[in-house]
Amino acid sequence: MIATVGKYIRLTALMMKNCLVREMQFKVNFLVRLLTEMMWLVMQFIYIGVMYGQTGQIAGWTLWEMVVLAGTNHVIAQLFEALFYDNCMRLIDQIRQGDLDFNLIKPINTQFLVSLRYTDYASIANSSIGIGVILFALGKLGIGVTPGGAVLFAALVANSILIYYSILFILSVWTFWIGRSNNLMELYWQFGQFSRYPGEIYPWLLRRLLQTLIPMLIVSNVPAGVLIHKLQGGLVIYGFTLGAVFLALAAWVWRAGLKHYRSASS
Amino acid sequence: MAARKPPLHKYWVILSTRTQEDMAYRANYVFGAIFRFLPLVTMIFLWYAVYAGRGMAPIHGMTFKDMIVYNILMYIARGFSSVPGTMSDISKDIKDGLLNRYLIKPMDYFGYQVMYRLAHKLVFWYIAFLTFPFVFWIMSVTGHYFTHWPTLWEWLSFIVSLVVAFCIGIQFCFVIGTLAFWFLEISTFLFVVMMLEFFMSGQLIPLNILPRALHQVLFLSPFGYEGYWPCMILMGKVPQDHLGPVLGRGFLWVGVFYGVVQVMWRAGLKRYSAVGG
Repeated sequence: MIATVGKYIRLTALMMKNCLVREMQFKVNFLVRLLTEMMWLVMQFIYIGVMYGQTGQIAGWTLWEMVVLAGTNHVIAQLFEALFYDNCMRLIDQIRQGDLDFNLIKPINTQFLVSLRYTDYASIANSSIGIGVILFALGKLGIGVTPGGAVLFAALVANSILIYYSILFILSVWTFWIGRSNNLMELYWQFGQFSRYPGEIYPWLLRRLLQTLIPMLIVSNVPAGVLIHKLQGGLVIYGFTLGAVFLALAAWVWRAGLKHYRSASS
Repeated sequence: MAARKPPLHKYWVILSTRTQEDMAYRANYVFGAIFRFLPLVTMIFLWYAVYAGRGMAPIHGMTFKDMIVYNILMYIARGFSSVPGTMSDISKDIKDGLLNRYLIKPMDYFGYQVMYRLAHKLVFWYIAFLTFPFVFWIMSVTGHYFTHWPTLWEWLSFIVSLVVAFCIGIQFCFVIGTLAFWFLEISTFLFVVMMLEFFMSGQLIPLNILPRALHQVLFLSPFGYEGYWPCMILMGKVPQDHLGPVLGRGFLWVGVFYGVVQVMWRAGLKRYSAVGG
């Protein structure tokens, strides 16, 4: 058991090292990516700034609380894109073109391999900007972070990344059945924006939907809520449970989909 | 001997083949049409929360209902001014040497691009023509969102402004795409440009509620014509005696862009090189 876990950890480290070497061959590209993501973040802050220029609070959230939420969302989205987004996009092509064969014959869990093969380092660097934003906003709010709070926050962020991953992975795996799902991937970007703002702005039904079937509010609001002590009890446990359910669902859909896989030569 | 076709016939052929090509993937378009409205959901509730926070008082003359109408009209305006893929396709043609196959044909490359993009737009407008009346109907039944019925002049100016929007939008793409003659790798740069366009056209926030210094600059920029001005004209937020000057400046920008594209194209072709066939 321990040997197996060790093998997977070593393999992950190797794949990440391999990607770092590739990335460092294109340093300018790396810097430009940092710059563009930063601009995107600045634009979001302009949007938030203009809105708070008109009112002191939005659905009970003050300006700096909203910035904590935006920063948290940025960290989660960037880390997700760093680890999984490219891999899911590649998976679609691999399934469609029958290139999955090379991965299937390797003596390792295929879902693990196709999900973590490539790492995008620019996005990892970008996520650190989000952490800076969060710390700055917490300073403005006069809220300190305890070590326990930091650990809980980190665990919730990891949980949110896995929820994002499960949803996108399921959408990619659809390719086994429908042959082409590039349009469905567009859903990731469309869903993403539901997580940018407080759940309180949505009417009851939509809010419940975004906490269950499409849990975009759990993804961002729960970790941010822990930091600014703005959370209904039970949501943390619920969030972790939901993460486990979605992850299990992704694994199940993957195995079901594989049965529909047609290789290239057919 | 076959009858000689009129000189512009070739552009008609491009338009009609490209339109047929697009219509072959109808499901793609239906998906696109539905997803396109999703951002509206968040936007409506977010602005509602903002207005509720200030007792529903208007923001720079824009009521909550105005704000929603603005954002919906923006879909129409951007439907005319945004031509996705044009910048990257042109830069790719130049970079990979694919331009050769267009240069040897007796037709204008930009003329070809305009027809190609116009075909995409025709399909989009067709779908919009079917869906938007429904959206407008829902809006007027559920909340009487439309508080202003445009005058004849506003209708006419709106239509003219949409033509200006298309001309500026596509020519801006030509300018940026043509930069590929001088710079090898511009794909990340394109992302920055599109983000700025998103902001400066008023798609993110109506330009008039931005800080004064900023909006005065943006009012003079060509990008307002890609979104902000058509919306404000139809909403009756542009006084009638301003309609002429606003549209006049728009036409001026169309002319400026036309000149810049021609100059860049000629200068660029002198630098252009492609190896092999």
